Amino acid sequence: MGVNYQTVLWNKNKKIYDKWIGLSMLIYLLCFIGITIITNSGTSPETLIIRAFGTLAIALLHIILAIGPLARLNTRFLPLLYNRRHLGVSMFLAALVHGGFSMFQFHALGNTNPIYAIFTSNMDYGSLTNFPFQVLGFFALIILFLMAATSHDFWLKNLSPKIWKRLHMMVYFAYALIILHIFLGAFQQQPSIASFLVLGLGFITIASLHLITGFKETKTDKTKTQLIEDGWEYVCDIDEIPEDRAKIFIVDKERIAVFKYDNKLSAISNVCKHQGGPLGEGKVIDGCVTCPWHGYQYLPHNGQSPPPFTEKVATYRLKNDNNKIYVLPEALAEGTEVAPVTY
Amino acid sequence: MNTNEDDFFVGYIDNVSSKTKKTVKNFVILGLLALITIAVVFAFTQNTFKNSSFELTTNTKIMGVYHEMPYPMLKVKTAENTFKNILLIGFGKYSANPFLKKIREEASELSGSMLSIEGNLIYYNGKTLLQITSDEKVTLIEKANAKRLPKIKSLVNDMELTGEIVDPKCYFGVMKPGKGKIHRSCAVLCISGGIPPVLATTDENNISEYYLITDQKGDPINKKILPYVGKPSLVTGNVVKIEDWYQLRIDVSSIKELNLPSRIY
Repeated sequence: MGVNYQTVLWNKNKKIYDKWIGLSMLIYLLCFIGITIITNSGTSPETLIIRAFGTLAIALLHIILAIGPLARLNTRFLPLLYNRRHLGVSMFLAALVHGGFSMFQFHALGNTNPIYAIFTSNMDYGSLTNFPFQVLGFFALIILFLMAATSHDFWLKNLSPKIWKRLHMMVYFAYALIILHIFLGAFQQQPSIASFLVLGLGFITIASLHLITGFKETKTDKTKTQLIEDGWEYVCDIDEIPEDRAKIFIVDKERIAVFKYDNKLSAISNVCKHQGGPLGEGKVIDGCVTCPWHGYQYLPHNGQSPPPFTEKVATYRLKNDNNKIYVLPEALAEGTEVAPVTY
Repeated sequence: MNTNEDDFFVGYIDNVSSKTKKTVKNFVILGLLALITIAVVFAFTQNTFKNSSFELTTNTKIMGVYHEMPYPMLKVKTAENTFKNILLIGFGKYSANPFLKKIREEASELSGSMLSIEGNLIYYNGKTLLQITSDEKVTLIEKANAKRLPKIKSLVNDMELTGEIVDPKCYFGVMKPGKGKIHRSCAVLCISGGIPPVLATTDENNISEYYLITDQKGDPINKKILPYVGKPSLVTGNVVKIEDWYQLRIDVSSIKELNLPSRIY
């Protein structure tokens, strides 16, 4: 959390994270370039750069796409999620080197504008075999650029978390474009079962992780509350919620998190104002509900971030009837004080 | 702030549970192994690169008889009564013509003149090209003498040849690979910029032959042939020989695109 915008709010964990990103990228490049030079020395420097950085970008994209669902399935993966945007920007830079060199090599220094040439030098848009695969890579790079350029919290705040999230969900569209770019380009010119298997395995891993996570979320969403009189809905018994933790329920089509802490109970919206993180998967630390994604904090009894921070989430009224927790589904205005239920 | 020894991680809090540390460590190790595996697979599954050469950083000065039949070439003496015709091309995706404009103005007749040209050599499989990067590097040595021009010898009429129409600059060394689908856009731009189209053929014994493509009158073709560049094609035309180069004189409309499936689709 930060009150003022800084380029990067460095801390120990971020520094460790970035060192490993740099080291991993270096190891990849050294392996690819080293093997190519030793075993296939006829290569040219330009081709080597284009291929090394292109394959690095696709490998990193798979790792990035795996982190989200892994962190939802097991909180021990949360440190990987914490600074994922640096990994994303690094992946974009690798893709930019690939795309930039390719654009210069194949489309520049001619009698046509290089960007115009990407779209017009091969017009076989109706053919699968001859399809201009470069166009797919170009659009994917534009999406990755938009994501990298808006990755800072300044843009998150100014675009609004909803629009920002939608923009960043386009990574899946970029992934699809990149897969097609590879299959209609490199794999078509030099097919190999091993390369095909590597990419196929990557796709299956990413798809499976997302399906498993989606199934888990759906299960939570299907947890039925029981309607009783006067609009109060029974959600669970007090014993079902671990200390300093929460349970997530759907009431009035919204996810809410019911927290148990210091012999008290409070309910707030499950959606963090930062990036929409699941507050109900968070923990009460120093009296504050702490988001598992980036550590944004809210006071459980009023949904307000502790001063000087200004984020607010909706709160809900609770009641305790013989250790059974009931919630009034109507969301109160963000930041509304609600006296915690004691037990 | 304090956290209990559990699996809840907060980025700005230094202490991380031992279980979380172990999980992250295992993920990093697995990730690194996966990256190395991917690098190994992608590196080893590349097709073998040709041993073509492009001397980008080396300037070579050559002297020979200039001719354009119809594409600019320099006939260079390599031994007694032995000559090699070096195809001249320009910087980037352009023909040599913009770089010969100045010398054309100096010499009343350029064909048959002895020129000295400094540029970057491109060579592969017996063919040599020279990239000219500046018109200042083209010098007139002797005035035109038609007797020095190579003779054109007609060989076969209506010959059918199967191959790929490539741009010779990339194919013979500037790019690797300088043919096929990935390179098609570049080849189109090169030929569009005046670099002569070349039909590259390979027979069943894997022996390649190359044909400079012109129209039926022997004039340059560039724009009209673009839709066929970089695709397997059946090309029919009259073959003539200009010393060590074949030339294929064609009617562009007779080119047949071969719907050869690519190797995986």
